[in-house]
Amino acid sequence: MSTKIILSSDGIPLEQSLKKSERKNKIRALLLVAPLFLFILIIYVFPLGDMLFRSVDNRMITEMLPNTFSALEKWDAKELPSEEIYEAFYNDFYPLAKAKKSGKLFQRLNYEKSGFSSGLKKTNKLILDFKKENYKEQFMNTHEIWRSLDYWIAIKNTSPKWTYVKYLKGIDLTLDQQKKIVQVEDEKSIHVTLWLRTLKVAFWVTVSCFLLSYPIAYLLSTIPMKYSNLLMICVLLPFWTSLLVRTSSWMILLQQEGPINNLIVWLGLAADDNRPELMHNMIGTFITMSQILLPFMVLPLYSVMKTIPPSLMRAGKSLGGTPLISFVKIYFPLTIPGIGAGCLLVFILAIGYYITPALVGGASGSLISNMIAYHMKSSLDWAFAAALGTMLLVAVLTIYWIYHKLVGIDNIKLG
Amino acid sequence: MKKISKLLLALSFVLSITSSAFAVTVVSFGGAYTESQKLGYGDPAAKKLGIPIDWVDYTGGLSEIKAQIEAKAITWDIIDLYSMDTIIGCDEGLFHEFDFDKDFYPAPDGTPASKDFFTDMPSKCAVGNILYSWIYAYNTKNVKGTPKTIEDFFNTKKFPGKRGVYKDALGNLEIALAGDGMKPGKGGKEIYEALKTPEGLERALNKFKTLCTDPKGGCVFWNAGAQAPEFLVSGEVVMSTGWNGRFFKAAIVEGAPIGQIWDGQILDYEYFALVKGGPNYENGDAMKALKEMTSPEGLAGSAKYIAYAPWRKSSIKIMEAGEPWFNDGKTKMVPQMPTAPANTKSYILMDAQFWADNNTELQEKWEAMKAGL
Repeated sequence: MSTKIILSSDGIPLEQSLKKSERKNKIRALLLVAPLFLFILIIYVFPLGDMLFRSVDNRMITEMLPNTFSALEKWDAKELPSEEIYEAFYNDFYPLAKAKKSGKLFQRLNYEKSGFSSGLKKTNKLILDFKKENYKEQFMNTHEIWRSLDYWIAIKNTSPKWTYVKYLKGIDLTLDQQKKIVQVEDEKSIHVTLWLRTLKVAFWVTVSCFLLSYPIAYLLSTIPMKYSNLLMICVLLPFWTSLLVRTSSWMILLQQEGPINNLIVWLGLAADDNRPELMHNMIGTFITMSQILLPFMVLPLYSVMKTIPPSLMRAGKSLGGTPLISFVKIYFPLTIPGIGAGCLLVFILAIGYYITPALVGGASGSLISNMIAYHMKSSLDWAFAAALGTMLLVAVLTIYWIYHKLVGIDNIKLG
Repeated sequence: MKKISKLLLALSFVLSITSSAFAVTVVSFGGAYTESQKLGYGDPAAKKLGIPIDWVDYTGGLSEIKAQIEAKAITWDIIDLYSMDTIIGCDEGLFHEFDFDKDFYPAPDGTPASKDFFTDMPSKCAVGNILYSWIYAYNTKNVKGTPKTIEDFFNTKKFPGKRGVYKDALGNLEIALAGDGMKPGKGGKEIYEALKTPEGLERALNKFKTLCTDPKGGCVFWNAGAQAPEFLVSGEVVMSTGWNGRFFKAAIVEGAPIGQIWDGQILDYEYFALVKGGPNYENGDAMKALKEMTSPEGLAGSAKYIAYAPWRKSSIKIMEAGEPWFNDGKTKMVPQMPTAPANTKSYILMDAQFWADNNTELQEKWEAMKAGL
C-alpha cells in the first residue's frame, strides 16, 4: 500500500515545496553572511596567508640564478668553485645586470651575508665589460667577495626553493657548510632571550592582572547598582582611551622627575639623587602593560561573578563553613570560567604587545614583537619577520590548545 | 570593536587618497623638520607651479613604500630618505633614476647641478636635500663643568648621569670608537675601516656596554628625533645624542638650557627620491615639484626655519648674503650649519655603503648587546 503523497495547493509535493522554500532561506542567509565572509577573506585571511608564506619562500634567488645553482649542486664547499661555476654565474648575472634587474638580488643576498650589497654592486658595473673567457679570474679581480669561500657557501645555502632557515634563525640556530643545524655565535644570539622574556612578561602581567582584578570584579558584582555603575565607568573609561595616550601618560608618571618618583622621594623611600628607575626597563613594561590590560580581566570576571547568586555563599556558611572555606569551595570554583577567559585574553594580548614595550621598555624591556617590527620596518627582511610572526601565532595556538586540554575551551565564559 | 575601527580607518584612508589625488604627496620625518621643508620650499613651489603639495609624516625606512608598490596602491610621490635607503630603494627599483643636470636647476652662476652639490650622490635615484648632523648635547643646569669632546660623552667619572642614546646601531658605533680615542679627523675613514674588523666592532660595542651598565652612567634609548631634547629638558638624562636641528630648536627657539658639542659629529645627508609609478609620476607634476624644491633658493629657504645645511654650495652663498637668515630676524644661521668651519674640526662622514652592507649584521650584534644589559 503506497502512502498518499501530500500535495500543496499548487500541486507540487509538499516535501519538495518545503525544501524549495528552505533552500531560498538558506541562500538568503548565506547572502547575508557573504559580505562579512568576503571581507574577512580579503582583508584578513589572504594577506595573512601571503605574509606567512613569505617565511618559507626562497624562490627569488633560485629563479634569478638557475644556472649557478645547477652548477653548484656538485660543488663540495671545501675550496673555491671551479671555472664552470663562475661561468654559470656570469651567464645568470650578465643578462640581469644588462637589463638593470639585478638590484633585488643585492639586498636579498645581503641578508644572508653582509658584504654582498657592495660586492654585487661593483660586479654589476664591471660585468658588462667582461671578456668571454677566464671568468674565475675576472670575477676574483672584481671584488673580494669572489675570492672568499664563505660567500659561495652563503649562495649555496639559499638553494632550496622552500626553506625553514628563517625559523631556525628565530631560535638562534643556523645551517653550517654541510647543512647541519648549529647554534649561531653567542654575540649574535638574541632571539631565545627575547622569546623567554616575552613569555615571562606575559605570564607575570597575567598574574598581576588577575590579582588586581579579582577584588575589583567582586566589588563590582556585589555593591548596589548606583555605586557599581560609577565603578564600572572607572574601569571602562581607560578601556575606551587610546592605547598611545595611556602609554604616554604612564611615561609622564614614571619618569625620573615624575610624580611617582617625587612621591617616593617625599616619603623618604629613596634619596633625591638616587631616584629609582621606573621606566625604560622591565619594570616600566610590566606596570604599564598590567594597567592597560586590566579591563580585559575585569570584564569577564565581572560578568561571571554577576551570575553567581549570593545565596550560595549564605548556604555555605549556614552549613557550617567559615567564610574562607565557603569562598574556596563554592565561590572560587564558580568563577573559574571567567578566570580562564580573562587569563587567556590577557596572556594572548600580552604576548604580542608592541607599542608599550617600544615606548617604556628601553633595552631590557623590549619583546619579540619589537624585533618583528624592526624587521618589518627597518631591515626589510620581511621573510624573517614573517617567520617570527608565524612562530608567535603558533605559540598562541599552543597555549590555547594546552588550555583546552587542561580546562576545556567550553568552560570559558565572557558573560 | 577593533574590526570596526580598522574598517573606519581603511575607509578614511581610501577617502583621503581619492580626495587628494591631484596633490603631490611628499613624505618626510615630521615635526620641526617637515615644518621647515613646508615653509622653506614646499609652499613657495606649490604657489609657483599651482600644484598643491601635501606633507605626510613617517618614521623612515622603506617598508611602507614597498608595501604600497607591492599592493599596487601607491599614494606617495616624493620621499625624504636616509642615504642608506636611497641605495637600497634604487637597487630594488622602487625609485626613478635621475638625469641629474637635466632634471635639476643649475646654480645662479650657471654651474650645472651635479657640480653645485657638495659631493656625489650615493645612487642615481637620490637628490640631496640637507646635511644634518648627529651630535651630542647636554643640559647646562644638570652638568657640572663643560663637556668639550666626544670622549666626555663616555666619561661618567667627570660627568656622572644617564645618557640618551639612539636605539639602533647606526651612528652609535662610530662615536663609540671616536669616544674611545680614535680621532676622526676629517671624515673618520679609519673608524669605518676599524668597524669592519671584529676587534674594532667589539671595542665599539664594549664602549657602550660599559657606559650603559655603569652605575654612574646608564642609557636611555630614544627613537624619535624630538625625544632627545625632551629627555634633556625633563632631566631624564644629562647628555644625549641627537640631530642638531632638534637641539637648535630647543636651545635657540625655545630657550632650553641645552649646550651642543660639535666635536666628533657625524655628518649625514638627507635625500629626496621620486617614487616610480606614484600618483603624479606619469603627468610629471611630482618631478616639477621636486625640481622647484631643490633649487638653490628653495634649499636655502628651509634653513630659515631649521639648523640643517642646504646641500648646494650656491644656497650657502644666498644665506650669507641674507644674514641674519633665521626667521626670528636676529640669529645668524651660517655658523649654526653642520658644515660651518668651526663645527667641522673633527667629524665623521656617514658611510652609507658601509651601513647598506653591514646594517643587518651590526644591528643583530647591537641588539644582542642591548638585550644583555
